Amino acid sequence: MTTTLIDAAEQAEAALLILHKKFMSGNRPPDALAPLNEAALKHFELLKFPHRKHEMYTFVNTKDLVATAFALTAEGSVTEDFIKSHVFPECESSYLVFVDGVLKGDLSDFSAIESAIAIVPIEEAVGQADIKEHLVDTIEKENDVFASINSAFLGEGTLIDVSAKKQVTSPLQILHVSTGTPSGKVTSHPRVLVRLGEMAELKMIVKYVGVQGNYFVNSVMDLLVGEQAGVTFAQVQEDATDAWHFSKTRVLQGRNSRVKAVNAFFGNKLTRHHFEAHLKDVGAELTLNNVSVLNEQEQAHHFVRIHHESPHTRSGQKFKNIVNDKSRSSVDGTVIVNQGAQQTFSDQLINNLMLSDDAHADNKPNLMIFADDVKCTHGATVGQLDENQLFYLKTRGLSEKVAKELLTKSFAESIIQTIDFPGVVQYLENTLLKKLEN
Amino acid sequence: MLEVKDLRAGFDGSEIIKGISLSVKAGEVHAIMGPNGSGKSTLAKVLAGHPSYEVTGGEISFNGENLLEIEPEQRALKGIFMGFQYPVEIPGVNNAEFLRMAYNARLVNEGQEELDPLDFDDILTEKMKMLSMEKKYRERNLNDGFSGGEKKKNEILQMAILQPKLAVLDETDSGLDIDALRVVSDGVNKLKSADNALILITHYQRLLEYIQPDFVHVLSQGKIVKSGEKGLALELEAQGYDWLTPTN
Repeated sequence: MTTTLIDAAEQAEAALLILHKKFMSGNRPPDALAPLNEAALKHFELLKFPHRKHEMYTFVNTKDLVATAFALTAEGSVTEDFIKSHVFPECESSYLVFVDGVLKGDLSDFSAIESAIAIVPIEEAVGQADIKEHLVDTIEKENDVFASINSAFLGEGTLIDVSAKKQVTSPLQILHVSTGTPSGKVTSHPRVLVRLGEMAELKMIVKYVGVQGNYFVNSVMDLLVGEQAGVTFAQVQEDATDAWHFSKTRVLQGRNSRVKAVNAFFGNKLTRHHFEAHLKDVGAELTLNNVSVLNEQEQAHHFVRIHHESPHTRSGQKFKNIVNDKSRSSVDGTVIVNQGAQQTFSDQLINNLMLSDDAHADNKPNLMIFADDVKCTHGATVGQLDENQLFYLKTRGLSEKVAKELLTKSFAESIIQTIDFPGVVQYLENTLLKKLEN
Repeated sequence: MLEVKDLRAGFDGSEIIKGISLSVKAGEVHAIMGPNGSGKSTLAKVLAGHPSYEVTGGEISFNGENLLEIEPEQRALKGIFMGFQYPVEIPGVNNAEFLRMAYNARLVNEGQEELDPLDFDDILTEKMKMLSMEKKYRERNLNDGFSGGEKKKNEILQMAILQPKLAVLDETDSGLDIDALRVVSDGVNKLKSADNALILITHYQRLLEYIQPDFVHVLSQGKIVKSGEKGLALELEAQGYDWLTPTN
């Protein structure tokens, strides 16, 4: 059994190497990026495709994904109406559209924030010493094989640059559209770097959608947050139900910087999100809230690593997963407090609501603390609806059905309400929470 | 209105209420007093239909109907309201929205049309004013992060909105400071009428200074050991509960 698994992984690796050759020889990547592509590919060969025994993929079965042969996406077409239907009201003149990982200027409109941000193609941005250093460094240190693959195919990435003291007043929406195909399997590797200078402020909404299915979107977003800068963002994963969604959000935080992130996942064939944060300097603060609502055989998995690398850093994480039918969710979350990162404060809470006996929720909260003056908590719960809450609502005349639906929705709502964008909150209430009605 | 006959009930196999009989008529206020563990709260929960409590004997009828065969939500729709000793916190459920849902559930049950948020808002504003509740309570989530006093006020707000025929207030006074107690009592007094009835479950006589009971019942070890008029409460206050000797 083990041999077959390893054989399958080896075959998949060979297939990927061939795909990469095609990518390089097809003259896709600009010269400036080719050395990074090669370095990332070498790193991929070192990391290898995961199998179930892999520590990072304990809860995520990647067998089908790895065994599937993907072609690189030929950019498909998207209608303007489709785009418009996925732009949030607060971003009507401040959105960037990426189709299969490629920024489409003609489909985007960021006139409202043009003066506050610079949009730079990655092949140009790599000419800047610190961006190059960041890319080289993260390729070398990458521990996630799928993020390595993203870098190996890096060609079209984009840098969103907010210079020091700039405040971007309208939220920026990044819309990732995967066009997919009616037949065959395609893959794309969107890459976005967001850099905030000292004291800059940015609000951002990232949304993933698909036109058709049969695709594997493998996205990476890097957030480089300067001293005293602040980012508030929400990520909405709403890909086609028969798509694979892998994404990594990497956050590097400077002194006294603030990051607030909320992820809302609809799930699909297999969604896995890797959130890696480095609170590098004194006073950095991070809030990470997550909600998933999964039905049928949908899956959504979180892999989270938060590194407290300096004193007086704070992080707070909340996860609420609702699993119905035969769906699966997992949270594998570790907080690492480095030696010397004294006065760190960290908490993590994972709550799972099981609506079916066949649903599955795995949790692995973990703390690794190498400092002695810190306050860290973590916890996880798995359960059904609270009997006392149900009784309370019924004593007010609500029927069992209405009370149950209200409680189930409220479980997710408590995370949705932490999103700072009213358009996104309303959208999720009308879509994500709709999944709980039947 | 309410007839309780030789009620026996318990929790997890142990009998807590050991034969209670009680008759409550429209327009009456009954106070049920007694030491901790005497079965006061169990009685309230059994009246409301809590699924964890098992009725092992006796009868409860409400306006001639057997209450024990009816689900909690049906009891509520028939006009029974229970004010919880420990109101449950429900994060993610907006207070005003919840109150409207509860109000509408009753309207629909009576064959009337639901109220939209704007029309309901007028009712809510008026009731909140009566209880000197700040506007912020409508925006907040149901009891979520409320102080003890705020939760109790929110219970009375629900009572004011639902206009029950019979309200059972389980230790609504405990945890309230004197100002809050006055506001809550004033609210309850305004809701009293010749058509509805009230059962006050309390540990302290103080509440009865503000809401005058017609009858006082003393509960001990699952039985009513003494019933009388308002004066009985004062007697209890003077003597404490120590004079109550087990009767079985």
